[in-house]
Amino acid sequence: MAVIRDIVQETPTIRTFRLAWKDPAISANFSFQPGQVGQISVFGVGESTFVINSPPTRREYLQFSVMRTGEVTRALHQLNVGDTVGVRAPLGNSFPYTTMKGRDILFIGGGIGMAPLRTLLLTMIDNRADFGDITVIYGARSPEDLCYRYEFDAWRAAGVNLVLTVDREFPGWTERVGFVPTILAEEAPNPYNRVAITCGPPIMIKFVLAGLKELGYEDEQIYTTLERRMKCGIGLCGRCNIGGTYVCVDGPVFSGTALRAMPPEL
Amino acid sequence: MAMKSASFVSSADLSGLLVRLAEKAELWVPAPEDTAPHRVTFRPFQAGMDLDGHRLPVTSPKKLLFPQGEELLRFRTGRSSSEAAMETVLLEESADPRPTIVFGCRPCDARGFVVFDRAFLQGPFVDPYYKARRDKNLVVSMVCPGPDAACFCGAVGSHPADTQGSDVQMIPVSEGYVLHALTEKGQELVRHLENAPSQAQEQEARHVWESARRSVENVVSLMDSAPHFRKRFADAAFWRLHTERCLSCGVCTFLCPTCYCFTITDETDGVQGQRLRSWDACMFHHFTQEASGHNPRPTKAERFRNRVGHKFSYFAEKHGHPACCGCGRCLRHCPVAMDIRAIVRAMGETEDVHA
Amino acid sequence: MNTLQSIVASVWDQVDMVLGWQPGYDPLHPVPAFVRDPKDIASLIWNPLCAPNLSVYLAKSFKAPTRGEKKIGILAKGCDSRSLTALIQEGLVDRNRLLIIGLPCPGTVDPDALTSVRTQSGPITDVSFADGMVQLTATDGVERVPLDQVLARRCQRCRHPHPVLYDVLLEEVVPRPVPKDPFAHVKALENQPLEARKAFWLRELERCLRCYACRNACPLCVCQDQCLAESRTPKWVTQKDTVADKFLFHMIHTLHLAGRCTECGECERVCPMKIPIGLLKEKTAHIAMDLWGYESGTDPAAQPPLLSYDASVNGL
Repeated sequence: MAVIRDIVQETPTIRTFRLAWKDPAISANFSFQPGQVGQISVFGVGESTFVINSPPTRREYLQFSVMRTGEVTRALHQLNVGDTVGVRAPLGNSFPYTTMKGRDILFIGGGIGMAPLRTLLLTMIDNRADFGDITVIYGARSPEDLCYRYEFDAWRAAGVNLVLTVDREFPGWTERVGFVPTILAEEAPNPYNRVAITCGPPIMIKFVLAGLKELGYEDEQIYTTLERRMKCGIGLCGRCNIGGTYVCVDGPVFSGTALRAMPPEL
Repeated sequence: MAMKSASFVSSADLSGLLVRLAEKAELWVPAPEDTAPHRVTFRPFQAGMDLDGHRLPVTSPKKLLFPQGEELLRFRTGRSSSEAAMETVLLEESADPRPTIVFGCRPCDARGFVVFDRAFLQGPFVDPYYKARRDKNLVVSMVCPGPDAACFCGAVGSHPADTQGSDVQMIPVSEGYVLHALTEKGQELVRHLENAPSQAQEQEARHVWESARRSVENVVSLMDSAPHFRKRFADAAFWRLHTERCLSCGVCTFLCPTCYCFTITDETDGVQGQRLRSWDACMFHHFTQEASGHNPRPTKAERFRNRVGHKFSYFAEKHGHPACCGCGRCLRHCPVAMDIRAIVRAMGETEDVHA
Repeated sequence: MNTLQSIVASVWDQVDMVLGWQPGYDPLHPVPAFVRDPKDIASLIWNPLCAPNLSVYLAKSFKAPTRGEKKIGILAKGCDSRSLTALIQEGLVDRNRLLIIGLPCPGTVDPDALTSVRTQSGPITDVSFADGMVQLTATDGVERVPLDQVLARRCQRCRHPHPVLYDVLLEEVVPRPVPKDPFAHVKALENQPLEARKAFWLRELERCLRCYACRNACPLCVCQDQCLAESRTPKWVTQKDTVADKFLFHMIHTLHLAGRCTECGECERVCPMKIPIGLLKEKTAHIAMDLWGYESGTDPAAQPPLLSYDASVNGL
């Protein structure tokens, strides 16, 4: 069980919840890796999967960003600070963090897709010396649809090359304009010794993966996170499979190599 | 002294044995439904019930270890008067399960439990609810006289005298049944039965057993279908063609001894509630329907493809045998007689792969 | 003389495809067939084992009429033609897109009844029909049983063995006579005291698996993918395995079909647990006839009473 300590309204449809475990013993012993997820319960309504959005390097609270879409997320959005939720975590696999050390990093995010990327990004920022160039290309439909706007300055201050974009011109918007795959092609970050991690709406991922291939990125250099309707979260209920792979236990993080081995059922 | 592992029960003594077994455990047997005598189902034994060994039961015995509705936890939700915050309390979990016995199922049904064990006990996470039931469960299967037009146990690496998944195997002979214990749990049951089979009875049993096994000798195997499935996956026209008459209901899934898909829902009654596990089917439209509106398997063609893939490719490659026992229920009771055997065979048949 | 093959061949140039029946995995189970190639016309069959109602595919699979496409040919027994008519009445199917091959029907066989009436026990290798008799050829001999003895319950009470709507007719078989009291089964149940009826339904529905075969086999249940029974927001029925929830699902289903059901009996045929759920819908059909003199699926131009609002109509 966890208590909601803080709620941040990121965008009109996305709220970030900062939770604290009720049981101090769990708090002391809880550990996880960037990329892992948790299943949050609103008892009486149901349970849904969200990536653990805070990095393991910042333990004051456990953070999840939730887009209001269906039954459970609607119920979550109606909760207030002080309310209790259930949490089953950590579940799933994580980004192969150690293999990324000593390399350049490229994050490509769209909308709520920035959530899993943030976890890994902050872990890297908190260990900045272990990584070379960190470039983040992050886009959304409009400026108010970008999450974590209040952190952008801090990311830049930590030596992150942050490229922000929205789909079209907006008054007062001074950063880039264009779809994420277009900006990716314009920025064309060099694939040499670089790892690319992308997450966002399925259509964006499709074009980004193609764009990365065009820039010369190999399957082994690319990572993404996949989503599926989930229930048990532990590989038993038979629902979230793509081929023989269960997104809940074998994912949500998948390399480009792993993706290629899966049947085309995205 | 050798551990006694075989015994004999006469036809006349069978009901007495069932009554005795039912005293110590929840005993499930295949019996005709009172108001639908052509429908034999697995049900808790009651004195006076006649086992039906001739007709193939409609349902599988999986309900005993995998109930159609199972409470996972209970809770009470409300606002605490002091803080006005939404508070949830988890209540005491359900009681310890009773010992159970499945008595008189066929080898195909027993093999269904093998698939369940692989899925629920041998993955990265163990299902504690299933495990608690399974540990206290005994399976006594009966050798089957042979296949009907819908059966295909021979095609999936089994046969009507298969012992896999059983603790005790019963072989019908002219005067009754010869029982062979196959596991330690099975020894426990057989040990308490007084009569040992005579040599003549054992000989007759061997003959019945051999005859049953040989009845599926010339069946074309579906065991190595995974490579054909992989090649055929993207052939959308193939899947549309072969699934055109499917109604996308859940008969095949719910009757299948090896299907284990479930959903989890919260069901409330005022402020109290339970988190319930219940049967679900990958054949239903909602199964993979995401809140965003996206559905990776929007039509029955993709869903049936997933069914075939799970049973004959994904599970098969992971565990060395298909998630299918060949009982034929999916075919026998399908409203439009969808034939999974024919589809699996067809996957490897033609060279053309259309877009 | 008309044969099935000659009729289908004669309309072939007007259609894109013909929905009919083909042999299935054994002689007792013909299956729906979607014939698009003229050489497959030869595989079509028509006999009293051709039970599935082919109109189920129309509103759920071939919805939108597309310009330039030819018609869809469909074989229809009396009951099936009523379903087609009801679909047309509700605007779910375009009449102009259909080429209906009507089949006057002697009734369809209940495979369970056939199994129980047989004296032979070997596997059946052939079934043929002639002079009101069913001839079964099995590995251990041949026997003949009267068709009347093995009819499905829905056929015993059928009021429309002759198709009500068709473009061409295959007059191969004499349709069975209409029964004197088509609602006898409903009345037999209704004449029992309330407690007995309640006990009957609670006992029958206990077997229900919520497999939704009845719903998906119904030609008129076009909302099956967004079914109220599976809706979570709002939630009407829970996932609990109780007879109360099963009862509620069946009540909802029946009420949604009230004034629409054409009594084709597919719901009852496809139920793996042999629950006589057709009785519930027959009752509502009886009420519709009583109150409004309305019989669903008999007149393509008729407005279904529960789908219209007319304050002058009596009995509402």
